This record gives sequence, C-alpha cells and structure tokens, in this order.
Amino acid sequence: MSDIKGIIFNVQPFTVHDGPGIRTELFMKGCTLKCRWCSNPEGLSPKPEPGLYPDKCIGFSKCGVCEKSCVNGVAYSVYEDKLVAIDRAKCRGCLACAEACPSGGIKVWGKAYTPEEAFALVKKDKKYYDESGGGVTVSGGEALMQADFVAELFRLCRAEGIGTCLESALNVPVSELEKLLPLTDFWITDIKCMDSAIHKQNTGTGNERILENIRFLVSRGAKPVIRIPIIETFNATEENIRATGEFIKNELGGNILQLQLLPYRKLGLEKYSSLNLSYPMGDFKAPEREVWEEKLLRFRDILRGMGLPAEAGSGNAIK
Amino acid sequence: MLNSVKSVTPLAIEPYDKEWGVGVSGMVENPSPFPRINEMLRWFKERPTTADPQRMLIFTEAYKKYSADPQPIKVAKALRDVLMNVPVNIWPGELIVGEIAAPAKSAPIYPEFSLNWLAYEIENDPLDQRPNDVYILSDETKKAVFDVVDFWKGKTVEESIKSMFRYEQAKGSQMGQGVYFCDLYTYAGAGHVCADYEKLIKLGFGGIRKEIEKKLSELTVYLPEDIKKRTFYESQLIVLDGVKSYIYRYGDKAEEMAAAEKDETRKKELLRIASNCHNVAEGVPNDIWEAMQLWHIATNMIIIEANGHSVTYGRFDQIFKDIYAKSIAEGTATRELVQELTECMFLKIHQLCKIRDRGNITVSSGTIMGGTGFDVGGVDAEGNDITNDLSYIALDAHAHTRIPNPWMAVRLHKDAPREFKIKVFNVIRIGTGEPKVFGDEMMIKSLMRYGKPIEVARNYVGVGCVEPSIPGKTYGWHDSCYFNMPKVLEITLNGGKCQHCSESCPQYAKCVGAGSQLGAKTPSLAEMKSFDELKEAFQTQMRYWTDRMISSVNTMDIVHQALKPLPYLSLLVDDCIERGVDVTAGGARYNHSGTQCVGLGTVSDSLSTVKQIVFDEKKVTGAELLDILKKNWEGSDYLLAYVNSDKVHHFGNDDDYADDIAQFVLNTYCGCVEHRPNAHGGEFMPGAFSVSINVMCGSHCSATPDGRRDAEPVSDCLGAVHTEVASHDVSGPTAIARSLAKLDQSRIGNGVILNWKFSPTSISGETGRDNLISLMDVYLNNGGMQSQFNIISRETLIDAQTNPDNYRDLVVRVAGYSAYFTELNPELQVDLINRTELSFD
Repeated sequence: MSDIKGIIFNVQPFTVHDGPGIRTELFMKGCTLKCRWCSNPEGLSPKPEPGLYPDKCIGFSKCGVCEKSCVNGVAYSVYEDKLVAIDRAKCRGCLACAEACPSGGIKVWGKAYTPEEAFALVKKDKKYYDESGGGVTVSGGEALMQADFVAELFRLCRAEGIGTCLESALNVPVSELEKLLPLTDFWITDIKCMDSAIHKQNTGTGNERILENIRFLVSRGAKPVIRIPIIETFNATEENIRATGEFIKNELGGNILQLQLLPYRKLGLEKYSSLNLSYPMGDFKAPEREVWEEKLLRFRDILRGMGLPAEAGSGNAIK
Repeated sequence: MLNSVKSVTPLAIEPYDKEWGVGVSGMVENPSPFPRINEMLRWFKERPTTADPQRMLIFTEAYKKYSADPQPIKVAKALRDVLMNVPVNIWPGELIVGEIAAPAKSAPIYPEFSLNWLAYEIENDPLDQRPNDVYILSDETKKAVFDVVDFWKGKTVEESIKSMFRYEQAKGSQMGQGVYFCDLYTYAGAGHVCADYEKLIKLGFGGIRKEIEKKLSELTVYLPEDIKKRTFYESQLIVLDGVKSYIYRYGDKAEEMAAAEKDETRKKELLRIASNCHNVAEGVPNDIWEAMQLWHIATNMIIIEANGHSVTYGRFDQIFKDIYAKSIAEGTATRELVQELTECMFLKIHQLCKIRDRGNITVSSGTIMGGTGFDVGGVDAEGNDITNDLSYIALDAHAHTRIPNPWMAVRLHKDAPREFKIKVFNVIRIGTGEPKVFGDEMMIKSLMRYGKPIEVARNYVGVGCVEPSIPGKTYGWHDSCYFNMPKVLEITLNGGKCQHCSESCPQYAKCVGAGSQLGAKTPSLAEMKSFDELKEAFQTQMRYWTDRMISSVNTMDIVHQALKPLPYLSLLVDDCIERGVDVTAGGARYNHSGTQCVGLGTVSDSLSTVKQIVFDEKKVTGAELLDILKKNWEGSDYLLAYVNSDKVHHFGNDDDYADDIAQFVLNTYCGCVEHRPNAHGGEFMPGAFSVSINVMCGSHCSATPDGRRDAEPVSDCLGAVHTEVASHDVSGPTAIARSLAKLDQSRIGNGVILNWKFSPTSISGETGRDNLISLMDVYLNNGGMQSQFNIISRETLIDAQTNPDNYRDLVVRVAGYSAYFTELNPELQVDLINRTELSFD
C-alpha cells in the first residue's frame, strides 16, 4: 500500500465521450486555472468541502443533525427552514455534517482515496473496457496537481491491462507531465485561446506554459486529442481558429488524434450555488443554437481545410 | 473486442448503418419510403376504436343450436360458424388481408369467457368516457350485449372459475388482499403461444387435414382413449372447414373489389391478393407473399378462437428464410416488395384490438392487443447465426412505421454480425422502446434447465413480453399470475396479518375476526431477535402464499380445459395431432404455467434496510419500525430520508450486502414455484417481470421499510427501487449490470425484464452507439437474459420541464456529469431538449 492519497470529487462510471470506449472517469480536486465558463466549480479548490442542496434538505427544525455534528462551531444559515449556506471561512472540510445528513442536502465534494482504493473502483468495469476498448480517464480540476497519485493509479491499471487516459489543461510544471508520460495511453487537452493576454483575462493565466507543455508532449511521441471550447467574446473568431490550426500544423507537425470543437454550455450553476458561489458568466448571453451551430461547423471546415482531423463535438469515434 | 464489420453490401433497402436520430421517438411525418404505408398510418390514426358484436352473436346462436354436442364439438362448430359467416373486409392499400372476425381497430367479443362486466360497464361506466382505452360502442352493439347477457349467465369461464375458488384461494387473490393477481386468464383466454409456422408453410392447411384424417383412420372403434381422440380429431376437421371458408372468402372479396376497381395498379394488387387467398385456403404457398398472407391469417384465427393476447408471430427471419430466397431467385419478389409487405404486415398487427375491463385498463393502458411478439436474429438448431436480409428488413420496417406493434425482439449472441448490431441499436436509439433484446446464452441455458434439448432450445422465441417458449411446441400459460412479494413481506413483518388490519376490512370477519389470521403463523418483526429469524419467517410466508397462488392457477387451468378446448390452436402446436389431445389438456410437447414475481427490489431493499438499521446499527427497534410503517412514515422524516439515501445498502449498486439479499429473495421465489406440477401435464416456471402491474401491487401494499409510503408503486421487473423520495440505484448502468449478473437468471424460466433508461446524450454519436453495443454485449454474455430501453424522449423532457414534480428522479447525462433534470436551470433544460436531435457532445 502506498501512502499517497488523491482527493477525488466525482467518480463517473459509463463515461462515453472522454476517450475511446466505455470509461470510468475520476475527477481530481483542485485546479491551476480559473476559467470563467468552468462547469465543475467543485473541482477548483484542492480541499474537500460540503456542497449544499436546499431542495433536498428535509427541514432544519425537525432534523438539524448537520449543525449538531459540527465540531468547529461553523454557523449554519437557514432560509425557509432549509439549510442554504455555511460559514466557509470557519469550515475545515471535515464533512461530519455531510456524513450526518440523511437526505443528500449536503453533498461531499472531495474524498480522499489511496491509489488502491481508486483502482478497486475502476477495476469493476474491466469487462466493459475490454469489450469496448475503454479504460480509465482521470480528469479534474487539474489532474496533474496530484500527479503522483495518478501515476500510481495508472501503474496499477497498466498492470491489469486497463487503458489510461488523462485529461489535463497542462498548466503545471513539465516535471509533472513527465511522471505520466510513460503511463498514459491517451491525452486530452485544450488550446483555449492563442492570444495569451485574452487567455489570462479569462482563465487567470497566460497560455505560454500550456503551449510549451503541448509541444513537449508531442515531441515525446504522445498524440493528444485537442479540444477548443468555442466561447463567444473569448475565442470564437476565425483568426483564433486559424492561429490554433497553424500552431498544431507547424509546431506539432499535425501530430494529434483529433481536434474537437465543443460548444459553450451554461453548466454547473447548481454546483456554484451549492458552494455559495456565483457563476462568473451569469450575465453572458449565449448566441442562439442556429448561430453557434453554424459557427462550429464553419470552424470545423476551416480546420479540416488546413488538413487537421477536426470534429464538431466529442461524439465521433476517434479513428 | 468489437467484431469488425464483414460486409458493406446492403442487406435491406436502407444501409446497415443508417441513423434515424437519438430519442426522437414517436410519430414523424411520413416515416416510410413507401407512400402507401404513410397513407395507411394516417388512415389508421383517424379511425376510432370500437367493439363488434358479430362474433358474440354467432357464438351465442351456435351454443344454443349445438347444446347437445360435447364441449369440444360445440366450440368447434361455433368457431366454424364464425369463420363461415362473419363479414370480411379489405381496407385501403392493404397487400396482406384478414381480420379477427371484426373490422380493423374493432375488438370482437368473447362471451364464453366473460360478459357480465361488459354489460355492467355499458350501463354504469361507459367505455367511451374512460380516461384511456376508449371504445366507441354503437347502439346496435350495446343492444346485442344486453340481448345475450342472460343466456351466458353461469356458462362462462369467469363464473366457473369463481365458483370453484374457495376462501383459501380467493383471500390472497385480486378478490381478496392482492397477494397475487390472476385475473388475466379468469376473464379471457390464455394466448401466449407461438404456432408452428414452418410446418404450416410446408404443408398448408390441406396437408394438416390429411394428417388428421390419417390419425382418425388409425383409431380403434372401441378403446375409450380412442373415442376421446375421435372427438378431438372431429373437432379439428370441423374447424378446418371454417378455416378454408374464411381464407377463401377474402379471396372472393378481393376479386369482387378488383372488378370494380378503376385504378389499374390497385386492380392488379387485388387480383394478386385474390389468388394468394384462394391458393393458401388449403394449399401450400408458392412464394413469400403467399406465405406471409397465410402466416397472417393463420395467426388471426388463433385470436378469433380465443381472446388470449400475446399470440406470437415467431422468428420472422427463420420462418421465411427459404421461401424468401426462392422468391428472389425465381423473380416472384424483390427486396423492395418484401420490405413493403413487411410494413403492411406491421400495420395489420397494429389493427388488432382487445377490449378489457375497467380494472384491467387502469393498470395497463393501451387498446392494442398486446404481446404481438415478433423475433429476429439468433441461432439455428446447430448454433449458427441466422441473420439474413429479412432480419434487416424487419428492423427497418419498425423505423419506417414507428408504431408499438409488433412487439419486436432481437436475439443477440456472441457471433451476431457487427452490421446487425449496428442496425439494432440504431433502431433502439430512435427511442420508441422497440426492439427489446434477448441474450441467447442465458435464454438457451434457461430453456434447457426447464427440459428442452439444446437443439430445440436454440429455436426459442420470446412470447408476449419476454417469455421463453418453443414455437409450435410449447403451451406455456406464460402470464397466468403476478405474485406481489412486497405484500408477502408486509404480512411477514406483521406476524401473518396485514399492516392495517382492522374491523373495517371486508375480510375481517373470516380472517382475524374469526380468531384466525390471513397468512401463516410466524413471529412479527417486534418479536424477532435476528435477521435470520426474519428470513425464515419470510420463507414460510412465501411458501404459504405460493401454494395458494399455484392452487388458484391450477383451478383456472381445469376450468379452461373443461369449457374452452382450442381445436384450432391444436392444429398448429405439436404434438396435439400426434397424441390426439387438445392443447388445453396437455397436447403440447412442452407444458408450463408461468407466474411472475413482482417487487424484487422493494423486498430486497426492505430486508437489507431492516438488517442494517434494526439488527446491525440498532437505530430503531423492530417494534418502533413497525410503528413508523403503520404511521406511513408520518413524523419520521429523518429516518425516511436516511433509508432512501446511499448510506443504506441498496440493490442495483454492485453492493454485495444488498445484492446477496436480492439473491435470497429471488431464490426463495424460484424455489417455491419451479417444477411444481400444473394442471395440463407440465410444470410451473417462475418469471420476474411486472409490466405495469407493479402499480397495482403497490396499491395493495402499505408502507415498506425501503422508504416507500402506503400505496406507492413497488419496484418494477428486475429493477432497483425508485420511491417518491429517491432512486436507490445511484452507481450507473455498469453497476446495475453487475448487480443483475449476480442473480441466477437462468432459474427464471418464464423470463425477466430489465428496463434501462438512457438520456439521448449518453448514447449519442458513433461513440455512444458503440458503447451501448459493448454494454449489452458484456451484460448479455455475463448472466443477463433480457434488456429493453427507454431513451428519454424529447416529449418526456418537455413534460418534465412543465411538471417537475412528476420527474424528480429523472437523471440525464448533461456533458461531463449526470444530474437531476429538474434541478437544472431552464436554459440548460431547453438545450438538453434540443440536443435530442443532434449529437454534439
């Protein structure tokens, strides 16, 4: 048994669009970016934390086991007899309240696993991976913030013949990538925007290290799937798409498996609210379906015209 | 690994990998490439559903006229008179003709089974004012019912069964506390059978007549057995006169219509129909069109004889394989013609109606006949894959009609071609719920367990919903009873009584009031010291109640044999002719009675909850829990939430604690039922499906420890628990499959149903399709017997948006995660609704 532990905020079996085949996807907690459209805000902080779902609360006055179980004297705020907020500054993330809650009114965002424990979950679906060409996908948050854990997990998977896939924004020191290079079958990453200043405005960080890491990855023989989330007011210009295409062609030699253009989705709002956070793009007015759909297909065709394996969405089999 | 696509030659008129969208479901404008089919679909939709008195009137006259005849002769003559005299119609555009002794979308009436309810409902609960299953009855029909209802008093199957039932049988039945429901075969025929169509196509009715005449000539004049056989054979010959006339009259009708037809194309079609009918009235079919005509009308006559539903059409691609090849080779048919004929056939099947009583339609709505089984795929007697053009044609025919008939099933096995699987799952992804799939491995294993040699078992067909049956060889009484296990659990927890036992119960005087109790005497939960005691008491009650269920079904069986022999069906099921015994009396090679257990999930989760919270954690005592249940969880919000949460072990999550208990429950039921003798010379087989009777079962059950309140539905089929508070399966589809694979499904010889629910996005794109195929390949090759699919449709999502309270447990795959649909923001809901048509994830 190793003594490393990984903090995972979601285990999702039968994942079908993050890597080939049927996969079990583990979402690692903690991220180095802060993308405005992030749909997994519970993955931002590296620490376990409670998520509140007032609709599920059975009523504070007749239950209240959350407050009673708290040893840190955190204030529990109630509205219309439902638990709606806690004092996050005082909360230490021990999650005793979530343990005590009978109804799912408090969800656990983040649980510690040893690699062996995580592997035991992954292994259950081995027959399905074998049949479909699937395996495990580790995502996040930023999976590489916990690279040692992921490496250990992948080692266990490899030993049992389970395929591995890593989804990472790659905004980490290159040393972390190197730990996973020999253990990863498929890489999935993003090129969110080629203009570093705009990248920084929208994700909190410039893109230099990310692009450098992609170059490194490809130079070491990995053939990643690259995704571009197409977001109006951020990166949805022909100029950016062409620049991305040029980068892939010239600097990566076109050595990628697939280039996926993903539409913007207003996702995860209920999760922001479970953390008492507001959604950063709350005011954003997404374009009509016809508009973005047309654009996505147009961008795809531009990239295909450049000789790249571009697809709209992630539902097309990787050939 | 995925087996690769072997060929790209078209196997039907559509490419094998044609996609029709995901979750688009329902009716679309002009789904068929054939204008005729689209026209017929429209015509059908506009026509109201009615009942027709002709069959009832002719039967009544016959019973009066032939009252001195022995019962087999009497019923044979009555059927003959119907077939010879009932008006025949050919409807616009039809290429295959024939009805069920009533016009299209009209239900015949079967007074010999039951009639009192119909007369009662016409007067007190009009059939045209029902919330569903509406029937428009003409004044003539209503009058006809009143005219004959008195004649039938005391002569029906229903009344005879009820008079034979004693308190011991009635008290647990639908007439008593609802421990089991056996009303289906009390009010109607048994159906649930598949004829030997291969033999019929080979010999024709004329050839079968010759077989009977030969057998008749070999009888002695004096042996008592032979005298009985003589009556049987004579009854069959009488029926054959009617058969010939009925088919022939459709030929005459077509000829008559052709003479008046101005359109040259239609005139030619009508003349072809005429010659088809005239030839197959007795003769052997020459090509596939004639063969399909014979197949259709032969099946209809099974339904004219008796109103048991789930009369099954058999293995389409096996029955017609040879004659299809012959017709193509000789140029008497093209692939396009067979496609169109198949779609015409689907519409004919969709015309069939069965009028049911109010009680029945409350739990299972839909005016359709029901159980019109139709299989494709699978292996032959030697174990080789049989898929051919016809397999693909049938699947395309569903995509081209999108109607809920026939009830299509696909047999899958390890060596099924990749193209076939792609076609099957593309049709499934449309989202109509058709077709369902069977896993050959477990089905064949199960059939062998119940006495069929391997080469026979390999030719199985799914009768009705899912019941494994041998075409032309099994008389299975597959749907004879539903057994309400949660009610047995309630009686167990309460020491042999109902949870709400009181003087106001109509049964009280005979039961607790008479110093007795409803069930066996076992201790109540309050008196139990260990979980093992509870298991033991449950087993005792299960044995007690299955004894009474079996007794009831056998009683019904005895009445059917006495009052309603089936000489026509006996023509088409081996070995009735060979042995000279009617199918109802055990003439078939394989005889069964199938009884389904309902509420496996509810009972399993209830037992594991009691084990955990009473005996392991000691959160409450047995007495306290009983009190909470009696109060219907009122005031116990914390515990109700707790038992519905993932903090308690639940079946369907690959959790051994809960799954071991599910195995115990299922094995207890199977042990109580399997191999027990039935009244037509065979044995009982347990089934595990509820269709929608889990709603009715739930209405007879008070609150259960799994966190279900009074009268909520119990769990469906093999599925996990979904109470109003929460769904208990929270670990995804592969965990469900792993839990289910732990059950020994081959022991459930009468079949199982497992309902899968997918949101369109989780199975969209090529990736989604291939992963769905892989999921099923693994499940069906690792202990799974059957699967059917609910692709949550656009309509459902829209309804969920408008009525969120009805859809609190509707889980959808959003993108990177799954979520409760009703908790999502409105914009995203709209987006998900829109995404049903595209696959952009």
